[in-house]
Amino acid sequence: MSRHAETEQFDVDDPRLNRFDLVREGARRDGVRIVHYEPRFPVPGTKREKRVERTVAGLFLLGGLAATAFVVGYIAWPFHYVPGANVNKLYTPVLGVTLGLTLLLFGLGIILWGKKLLPEEISVQERHGGASPRDEQRLTGATMMNMVDELGIRRRPLLRRAALLGLLPVGVVAAAPLIGGFIQDPNRGHILAKTAWRKGIQLVRDDMTPIRPEEVSIGGQMTVFPGIPEGNTNKYGDSPTLLIQLRDEDAAALRNKLAGVNQGSMWRNFVAYSKICTHAGCPASLFEQQSNILLCPCHQSQFNITDNARPVFGPATRPLPMLPITVDSNGFFVAQSDYKQPVGPGFWERPDETTQD
Amino acid sequence: MRRRKIDVAALPGAAATQVDDRLTLATPLRKAFNKVFPDHWSFLLGEIALYSFIVLLLTGTFLAFFFDPSMQDVQYNGSFTPLRGVQMSQAYSSSLHLSFDVRGGLFLRQMHHWAALLFMAAIIVHMLRVFFTGAFRKPRELNWIVGILLFWMGFLEGFCGYSLPDDALSGTGLRIASAIVLSIPLVGSWVATSLFGGEFPGDVILDRLYITHVLLVPGAILALITVHLALLVKQMHTQWPGPGRTNRNVIGVRMFPGFAVKTTGFFMMVFATIALLAGVFQINPIWLFGPYRPAVVSAASQPDWYVMFLDGSTRLMPAWEIRFHLAGHAYMIPAVFWPTVVLPGLLTVLPLLYPFLEARFTKDRQHHHLLQRPRDVPLRTGLGAMAVTFYLVLFVSGGNDVIADKFNISLNAMTWAGRIGLLILPPLAYYLAYRISLGLQQHDREVLAHGIETGIIKRAPDGRFYEVHQPLGPVDEHGHSALEYQGWSVPKKMNRVGALVPAIRGFFFPVERAPERELPEAPISPAPDRQEISSH
Amino acid sequence: MTPGDEAGRRRGFVARLRTRRSVPRGRLQRRVFAGARLVLALALVGGLYAGLTPHASAEDTPTLSGAAAEGKALYDRSCISCHGENAQGVPGRGPSLLGLGSAAVEFQVTTGRMPLTMQGAQAERKPPVFTDDQARMLGAYIQALGGGPQLPPGNDLHSQGDIAQGGDLFRVNCAACHAFGTGGGALSSGKSAPSLGEATDRQMYAAMLTGPQNMPVFGDNQLSPQEKEDIIAYVQNLKSDQDPGGFGLGKLGPVPEALVIFLVGIVFLVVVSLWIAGKS
Repeated sequence: MSRHAETEQFDVDDPRLNRFDLVREGARRDGVRIVHYEPRFPVPGTKREKRVERTVAGLFLLGGLAATAFVVGYIAWPFHYVPGANVNKLYTPVLGVTLGLTLLLFGLGIILWGKKLLPEEISVQERHGGASPRDEQRLTGATMMNMVDELGIRRRPLLRRAALLGLLPVGVVAAAPLIGGFIQDPNRGHILAKTAWRKGIQLVRDDMTPIRPEEVSIGGQMTVFPGIPEGNTNKYGDSPTLLIQLRDEDAAALRNKLAGVNQGSMWRNFVAYSKICTHAGCPASLFEQQSNILLCPCHQSQFNITDNARPVFGPATRPLPMLPITVDSNGFFVAQSDYKQPVGPGFWERPDETTQD
Repeated sequence: MRRRKIDVAALPGAAATQVDDRLTLATPLRKAFNKVFPDHWSFLLGEIALYSFIVLLLTGTFLAFFFDPSMQDVQYNGSFTPLRGVQMSQAYSSSLHLSFDVRGGLFLRQMHHWAALLFMAAIIVHMLRVFFTGAFRKPRELNWIVGILLFWMGFLEGFCGYSLPDDALSGTGLRIASAIVLSIPLVGSWVATSLFGGEFPGDVILDRLYITHVLLVPGAILALITVHLALLVKQMHTQWPGPGRTNRNVIGVRMFPGFAVKTTGFFMMVFATIALLAGVFQINPIWLFGPYRPAVVSAASQPDWYVMFLDGSTRLMPAWEIRFHLAGHAYMIPAVFWPTVVLPGLLTVLPLLYPFLEARFTKDRQHHHLLQRPRDVPLRTGLGAMAVTFYLVLFVSGGNDVIADKFNISLNAMTWAGRIGLLILPPLAYYLAYRISLGLQQHDREVLAHGIETGIIKRAPDGRFYEVHQPLGPVDEHGHSALEYQGWSVPKKMNRVGALVPAIRGFFFPVERAPERELPEAPISPAPDRQEISSH
Repeated sequence: MTPGDEAGRRRGFVARLRTRRSVPRGRLQRRVFAGARLVLALALVGGLYAGLTPHASAEDTPTLSGAAAEGKALYDRSCISCHGENAQGVPGRGPSLLGLGSAAVEFQVTTGRMPLTMQGAQAERKPPVFTDDQARMLGAYIQALGGGPQLPPGNDLHSQGDIAQGGDLFRVNCAACHAFGTGGGALSSGKSAPSLGEATDRQMYAAMLTGPQNMPVFGDNQLSPQEKEDIIAYVQNLKSDQDPGGFGLGKLGPVPEALVIFLVGIVFLVVVSLWIAGKS
């Protein structure tokens, strides 16, 4: 091969060769031809070269200055939160601007160095892609097939089947603890279909105080939680409910349209809908008290509260379930039962019919 | 006592010899140094993602020292007064602590978040470059697949990350995620309860997201990046067609020092951009959102930008739900399933298959190391424009409530515009991109045949006006050059062929004298039979 | 005050609210169609009424305090064309204001929503026509006519509030529409919840108390005056609190962040890569 021949002819210790000759030869052996190589400033020390040098040096020095500013700011600038408009609020901007400038200036300097001071170069590298030579492929293929033959898997079907059969449970052993620990039965306790509401549970505010009917304004809404320990916490994520007092004519309209499942769920002009959107579970709580629409801010589903919270726009398909409510002998709102339909987003085996409490 | 003389100048050489003696590194090392990289701005887009990832690793490690993913209920007592005394999870409390009571904590949190946005944005822009220039073609299909996987891994990583602080916005996102998992037919409820350890939100999800965010997915991303770069080194970079550039070579600069210096500088610039963004623009102010509670939500609840297109598709989806009875039990496929499970599934599978589909339809089995200009492959460009438009409609719809509010447009109108736009705009984009590609192609050929339009209008003796064209090569008797299109840009302005005097260097004052040069009297000497051409 | 008294007061309050609520629904639909007619009518009829009203009103409202009397003069000049004589409403133009109380009047007038200049999905905030004093006079007049919810005195309704408590209440009751950052948000079909950026203490208090337009009512029976002050304290604190992380991008969430990462981040880095790869 000619390349080997050249390699042998090239004497790296030849005193006539300068270092770049060695570089060129090294590159040549790596399949790279340096076809164009010339310093940016053939005459050293010209005004322009000095100017570029000064610029790069200036950038580095300024970068160092900005870095110093960063360190000083980091240590000395007050950073604790103080309400209002004050210098503490500038701590993050000070860090960002000084660090950003530091890196920007160094980046500019380095790039400028590379662009203006490094020699101009065009190199050509050969590509040696594509498939391996056919004989190489054959040799490797034969080696691999021989491995299979050496194991004798093909000749010993019993061994093969036994190994497969035996390995199957072993695979399960590996997967079982990895996955098995996670598995939770969604049907245990009907966690997807039921909420914390039960007959007689009080509707309470965020501060766990019970609610009298006159405490909800007409055209007003109140987010209520089940009056049980931790009822207002994330432990009962499906239970938040929106208690609304409708105006007389809106309440009459709703009573006229009340769906079968919702019969008897209202109390006078009060209606309680699940706050959990039936689409994706966000709290559908943008209540428009004149147009009587509940809007969900996540995907803009809109529910008509004077028509069983039927979805009227957006991707939601099912109405918000209505919580059957009444007022107990103490004059506080209580639930008559759990929601009669599952609350929140749909799922494959979601029961269509009314759930029994 | 005799001190041994140490020749300091010879030390590196001696050390190198010792190392090589043990590892035989001289040849492979020189080979690495001599690797040639082609030079084009569009080849740097992927590097933005790479360097963002490095910033993510650095800042994320810092954050991990202060963040605690526990969902245990605590009372906040840190220095952010508006939340003092509020019950919240330990995760949210530690995020607040990190933001307000750790020196520079907020800055690093913001850097981490901006770097994540930049990482994903750079991946998308890089992917568009690779797609529109045909860099995914044989033999690089595998690297294209790795790139797509990287996008989805980044997507998952980002989602896990912004769910961690347990503020009301991220919790809302998590709730939607649980609804998405629930919507999967057959196994949805099992998977959801298994993931959340029971009912949403439960008390384990943050621990699980945390280990996913700091170990599993970053590990996968790191492995994929390694493969991505190893394949790049093995297969070498593609290059644009041009003088001397063939399918069998790479023309550019060697890795050291030319490429290395520039890329180091670029790393600094990416790092600088993230630092400046983090210092100048506030991102994800979790202290405004309060702790996550299932009853709390805000207008304009959006995910981060790379998830926003899924939010958009969910918003645009009509209220279609499949319900049926089987053996006395009701079953359903919720509306959420289609835009959030099926659509991303398609968006993964289609790009994964695209290189193979294109090769199949074009019957192209060749190796390609030269890139194609988008105009030269109108079909692919059109398909790409179609996909980008589809994505953009979904993306914009993901923020349609903010647009509706800020520009006084009806929210319902925005939704309808999105639904209709999603069907109409992509085919329109396809058509337009296709036609524009053809037009550009034709103009290239015209310039090659007739020359550059000089803007000089002349009047012939018979009264006709014509524009003088500067031919790009020797012309035949009709004034036509027989120049072959080379797949690379054709000069279309006179100063691209050296018609203008070089500018004098210097920003404020000249630093050098303009070279004395004899200028021809007229920059253009029209060919004798120009009239023939310009009469076309 | 005994519990019985309180309940009685509440019933009375509820009853008053009910009477005023009988108008708006039909009104809203009609208004949309009556838009242009209304503006014309305002200009033409407004002046005429000013001369006609004094003797007409003398019979119904015999005694008016000083402020209410001045308010009546203002009313008769600027509001009567739509809301009618003695604020009884004009079918097709404007609802009755009886029982609305001074709080609602003050909210509508000081935020510039009234007098209405243009019919739309809802009345938007604009520079007020009347001064605060005039608005209070108008309020006193409407209060004298039909009673209704009133604001507590004073311009400072926040410094007694508990910010953290108010934050909890704000997030549960207000953030859904007005957003975490108080920037407001879109509602259905072109309606929107306004930004609280310019809202004063009294305006916020009045809005909660009276539920203007589509906003739900948070009467004193639902959110106590102290709770209202807590909320106002939280909002005012939030508005005056400088963002600790740099420019807040309008506190609008991830949408402006998405714009920044592409328009600033990616654009800048593409320019840098053009420069790096450019010929020097």
